[in-house]
Amino acid sequence: MSTTAAPPLTADERRRLIAERKQRSLYWRLVHLLGSLKLALFLLATIAIACAVATFYESSFNAKIARAYIYKAPWFIFWLALLCINLFAVTLTRWPWQKKHTGFIITHYGIILLLIGAVIGSQLGFEGNVTLHKGGEPVGRITTSRSVLQVESPADGALYLVPFDAELALPSERHPKTLDVPGSELRIVADAHSDRLVDRELLTAAGGGGPGISVKFTTAMMGQTLILPFVIRPDGGMERDLFGLAKVAFLPRLPQRPSGPATETQMVFAKFAPVIPDGSERTGVTVTLSENGETITATTPDGKSASHPRQEVAGKSFQVGEATVNVVSYWPDFKLENGQPTSVSDEPNNPAVLVRITGPAATDPASSQPMLEMAPTDSGIAYQLSRDGRIYEKGIANVGTPFALGWADWQATIEQFLPNATIATESGPGPEGVEGVPGFRAHLRAPDGTTGPAQWVKSGALTTLQYQDTFIRVGYGLELRPVPFTIALKNFEVPRLEGTETPSNFIATVEFRDKKTGETKEGVAKMNHPASWPGDPLALITGLNYKFSQAQWNPQDLDETTLQVLYDPGWLLKWIGSLAICVGIFIMFYIRPKKS
Amino acid sequence: MRAVCLLLFIMVSTAFALDTTPLETLPVQEGGRKKPYRVFADESLLSMAGRSSVPIGDEKRSAMEVITGLWLEPEAWISQPLILINNLQLKEAAGLDASRKLFSHEELVQNPQFVALLQKTQAAKRAVKDGKLTGMDKQVEEVGMRLAEFEQLFRGDLFRVVANPDGEGAPWFTVRPDDPTFVALSTAWKENDEAAFAKAAAEFRDALARQAPEMQPPAWKLDLENSYQQAHPFRWAWILYLLGGITLAVTSLRGRKVGYVLGWIFAGAGFLCQLAGFVCRVIIAGRPPVSNMYESVIWVAFGAVFFALIFEAIYRSRFFLLGATFAAVIPLILADTQPLALDSSIQPLVPVLQSNFWLATHVLIITLSYAAFLLALGVAHIVLGKVILGRKPAAALYNYIYRTLQVGVLLLAIGTILGAVWANYSWGRFWDWDPKETWALVALLVYLFILHGRIAGAWAGFGLAIGAVLAFQTIIMAWYGVNFVLGVGLHSYGFGSGGFGYAITFVVVELLFTAAAIVRHLAGKKSAAPKSAAQAVS
Repeated sequence: MSTTAAPPLTADERRRLIAERKQRSLYWRLVHLLGSLKLALFLLATIAIACAVATFYESSFNAKIARAYIYKAPWFIFWLALLCINLFAVTLTRWPWQKKHTGFIITHYGIILLLIGAVIGSQLGFEGNVTLHKGGEPVGRITTSRSVLQVESPADGALYLVPFDAELALPSERHPKTLDVPGSELRIVADAHSDRLVDRELLTAAGGGGPGISVKFTTAMMGQTLILPFVIRPDGGMERDLFGLAKVAFLPRLPQRPSGPATETQMVFAKFAPVIPDGSERTGVTVTLSENGETITATTPDGKSASHPRQEVAGKSFQVGEATVNVVSYWPDFKLENGQPTSVSDEPNNPAVLVRITGPAATDPASSQPMLEMAPTDSGIAYQLSRDGRIYEKGIANVGTPFALGWADWQATIEQFLPNATIATESGPGPEGVEGVPGFRAHLRAPDGTTGPAQWVKSGALTTLQYQDTFIRVGYGLELRPVPFTIALKNFEVPRLEGTETPSNFIATVEFRDKKTGETKEGVAKMNHPASWPGDPLALITGLNYKFSQAQWNPQDLDETTLQVLYDPGWLLKWIGSLAICVGIFIMFYIRPKKS
Repeated sequence: MRAVCLLLFIMVSTAFALDTTPLETLPVQEGGRKKPYRVFADESLLSMAGRSSVPIGDEKRSAMEVITGLWLEPEAWISQPLILINNLQLKEAAGLDASRKLFSHEELVQNPQFVALLQKTQAAKRAVKDGKLTGMDKQVEEVGMRLAEFEQLFRGDLFRVVANPDGEGAPWFTVRPDDPTFVALSTAWKENDEAAFAKAAAEFRDALARQAPEMQPPAWKLDLENSYQQAHPFRWAWILYLLGGITLAVTSLRGRKVGYVLGWIFAGAGFLCQLAGFVCRVIIAGRPPVSNMYESVIWVAFGAVFFALIFEAIYRSRFFLLGATFAAVIPLILADTQPLALDSSIQPLVPVLQSNFWLATHVLIITLSYAAFLLALGVAHIVLGKVILGRKPAAALYNYIYRTLQVGVLLLAIGTILGAVWANYSWGRFWDWDPKETWALVALLVYLFILHGRIAGAWAGFGLAIGAVLAFQTIIMAWYGVNFVLGVGLHSYGFGSGGFGYAITFVVVELLFTAAAIVRHLAGKKSAAPKSAAQAVS
C-alpha cells in the first residue's frame, strides 16, 4: 500500500501540509470546508432533532404524515446528501492516509455505502403486500403502498396512471388539487378528503317507488345510533338484520301472529314423567306431584316456585310467578280404561293430576331473536313486536315519536315516511370513529371555469365523474405492480401457545410459478423466515430477490394470510456498508497501530 | 439495612396455619406454559391485588394461602378485600373509601355506581376503533380485569392442573369437583385439619401425576422455578450493590484500600446474584432474558456492573465501581418494587420475537449499549457531584467517561444495524423509520455528536460529563418513551403503561442536577480565571 511506503507524518508536519494546500488551491479549501467538523456537528444535530420531532408527529398524526414532511421530504433527503458529501470530504482531508486512519475511513465510507444502498433500494426497489387465500387463484401482481388514480381517457378509452395520494395531498376547498385528464381539456379538481368514507343508504323520493320509511334505532346504554331505510317494492316488503340482535321488516301489511298469554294442559304423575300434548303452546312451567299425591308444586322457567296441598287447590287455581295453574282433576290410582282416565282405587298407588297452565309463553333463549314488523296504514305506521312468533307489543307509530322495542334499552323512531320512495346509495365521510376507506371529493372543470357535479371518489372503487355529456371513469387506490412470477397459497398454519388461543407462529406454504418458463418452486414463509423468489444464493446476496414475510392474518379466516413483499436491489450495499460501519468503529476505538 | 429488615419481615410474615408446601410444585398450565403452583399463586394474587400478600383481618395472608383458599373454599373469599383499586378519582366516582386500596368482589359488584362505571367502560371499549382506552375508562378497565381474574379463580377455571394426554400444545383440564382426592383436600382445608390436609395433598398430587405422566414437566424444572421465585436474586443484587456503593463512598477519604476491596466483594457478589437469576430465567423460559421491560431493566443494570468490573480490572480507579453500583441500584429497586408497571412473570414470546438468534444478538447488544451509557452516566454523576461540592474532578475521570461512551457507541451502532437486518427478515424491510428504530438512531447521532465535539475540542472534560448525562435522556426515550409514551409503531409487543411519573421525575432530577453543576462550574471558572486561565480548559 502506498500509505505504508510514505514515511509517517508527524502531527506538526500534517498541520503545516494542510495549511499550505489550503492556501495553494481552491479545491483543497473546498474539501476542508465541506469536510469540516463544524458542518458534521451541525448535520448530526439537525438530523437528530428532525428525527425526534418526526416520531412525535407520528404519534399525534400518523406515519404517513411524518414520512411526507420529514423522512421522505426533499429537504431531509438533501440533508442526507449533504451528510454524504461531508463524510466523503472528511476522508479526503486526512490525505495522505496513514495506517491509523484505517478505522476512520472504513467507518465513514461504510455510512456512505449504506446511504447509497438506501437510495438504490427506494428508487429501484419496492415494498408492497399481497393477500392470499388457500386454494385461491395464483396472484401475479403485488399491491404497493403508493396510491394512484387511474383515469380513463375520453379520447381513446386508454387507462392512464396518475400518482395521487389524497392522504398526503390533503386537498381542501381552500387548497384544491387539480389533475389533468389525458386527451381532454377537462381537469379533475379535488377539493376535500376523508379517511373514513362510507356508503350510506338514503331514502329518496321516486315517482314509481313504493312507500318508504327511514327508521332510527338508538340505545343510550351502548351509545349506538343507526338509521336504516326501508321501502316496499312490487315484489314485497323488506327485511333487515340489526347487528344480529333482531330482525326488522317493513311490509305491505302486518302478518297475523298469536299474542297474549299461552295456555297448555299437562297430565302430571307422581311416579312418571308428565304427559304434555305435542304441538300445544308452552309456558315452560313444570308441575310435579309428591309421591303420595298430596302436594302440588309448580316452577316457572325463571326459578319461581309455589307448593300447595293438593286438597286445598283441587278444582281451583293458584299463582306461580306470572302464570296461573288450574288444577282440573285428580286420580289417586290412575288408569286408562277404554281411553277414559279413571281411578282404580282410593289408595295413592299411582297419583295423577290434570292441570291447565296459563302464562307468558316460554322462550327458547337460543332462537329467541326478536322481530319488529312495520306496515303503512292510513293512521300512521303500524308496528308489532314479537319474540318466537308471539306478539308482545303492538301499536301505531307517528313520525318523530320514539317507541321502546323491549330489547335492552333500544328505541326506534320513524324519521321519515315517503309514499313513493326508493333507496339510493351515496358515499360520504362517516361519523367520527367509524371505519371507512380513504378517498377525496372531486369534480370536473372545463377551461372556461364551469364545473360538473361533485362526487366522492372512494379508494378501491370505480367512480364516474360527469361534465355535461362527458363521462370520465376514474379508479382510485393502491397501485398494483406486476411481478415476473405468480404466487399461490398452498397451506397456512397458525400453531398456538400451549393451552391458549394465542398464536405462536404463522406458517404459509406458497408456490411460485415463473410466468415465462412455467417452472414452479415451493417456499415457506414463517415468522423470521421469509420465502424468496428466485431465492438462489446470488439473489439473496444482491437483493435482486422478492422476499415474502408474514405480515397479517385474519382470525376469522384461517385460510387467508397477508405477506409483506420486498424487492431491494440496494441490499448488497446496505449490507457491506453496515458491516464496514461496525468493523470500522471497532478498529478506530480498539486497534491502535504500533508506534514506531 | 432497612431493606434487609424489610426482607426478613416479609419472610416471617408468610407463615400460616395449614402447610401448603406439598402443593407448591404442582404443575399448572397457564398463560401458554406450565408453571409450579406456587408461581401461579404469586402471579395470580399480584395481578389481582398488586401485591404478594394481603391483610385479612389482623393477619397477613400469603399468595399460596389466598389462592389455595379461593380454589378449595371459594365462597369464603367473596367478601374479602382482594381487588386493588389505586386510582383516587375512580374511588371517588364509585363512592368507595378513598383510604382503602383493596376491595372485595362482593362490595364492588353490589355497588351500583361501580357497576355503572364498568358498563360505561365496556360501551366505550366497543366504540373505540383499536380498543385502546384512556383516562378513567382505562383505570376502570384495569379494575375490571382484576374482577375477571377473581371470578375465574372463584369458578376454578384457572386451576388447570390435570394433564391432557393429547399432546404438548393441548389445553389442560380443571379438576372435576367430585374427584374424591379433591373433595378430601377441600374438606380438610375447610375443617382446618392439618394432618388430613397433608395426607390429602399428597394423595391429590400423586393422583394428578399419574394423569398422562409423559406430559408432566420435569420435577427439577418446577423446583428450580420455585427456588427462583423464593430466592429473589435481583433483590439481593441491589442490596449488595447498595452496600458496595455506600462502602466505596464512605471510604473515599479514609480507609480507601479496605473500602476498595470491600466494594469489589459487594459488587462481585451482587453481580453473581444477578448472573444466577439470569441463568434461572434462561433455563425456565428457554430464551434470552430480554423480552419485556422488566427483563431489560434488570439486564441493563447487570450490563453496567459488568462493564464496570472490566474497566475496574484495567484501571483500578474505584470510580467505575462507585458509578455502576449506584446506577444499577435505581433500576433494580424499581423492578423490585413496581410489579404492576414492570411485570416480572415469565411469559412466552410473541411470534415475531421467537428467534433466539436475533433476540440474543440484536436485543442483548442494544440493551448492553444502554448499560454502557448508564455506566457513563454513573461516572459523569461523580464528576458533576464533585463540581457541585466545589472540588476539582481528576482528569482521569473524563477519560473514563470517554472510554465508556466508546463501548456504548460501538454496541449501539451494531445493535441498531442488527435490528435493521432482523427487520429485513421478519418485517420485510431494512429501515422504515419505525419510532423505535428512529429513536435508536437519534440516540446514536446524539452520542456521535458528543464524541465529534470532543475531537473538535468544543468539550473534552466537564462538557463531556454534561453530555453523557443529557444524552442519556435520549436513551430513556428510545428505551422507555417509545414503548410507554409514544405507543405507536411495530415494536408494539413491548408497549405498556405506568411508570410515567418515575420516568419524568428521573429526567427532571437529572436536568436540575446538570443545571446545578453547570452553574457551579461557571462560578468556579469565574473565580479561578484570574489565577489560571489554563485550568478551565481541562
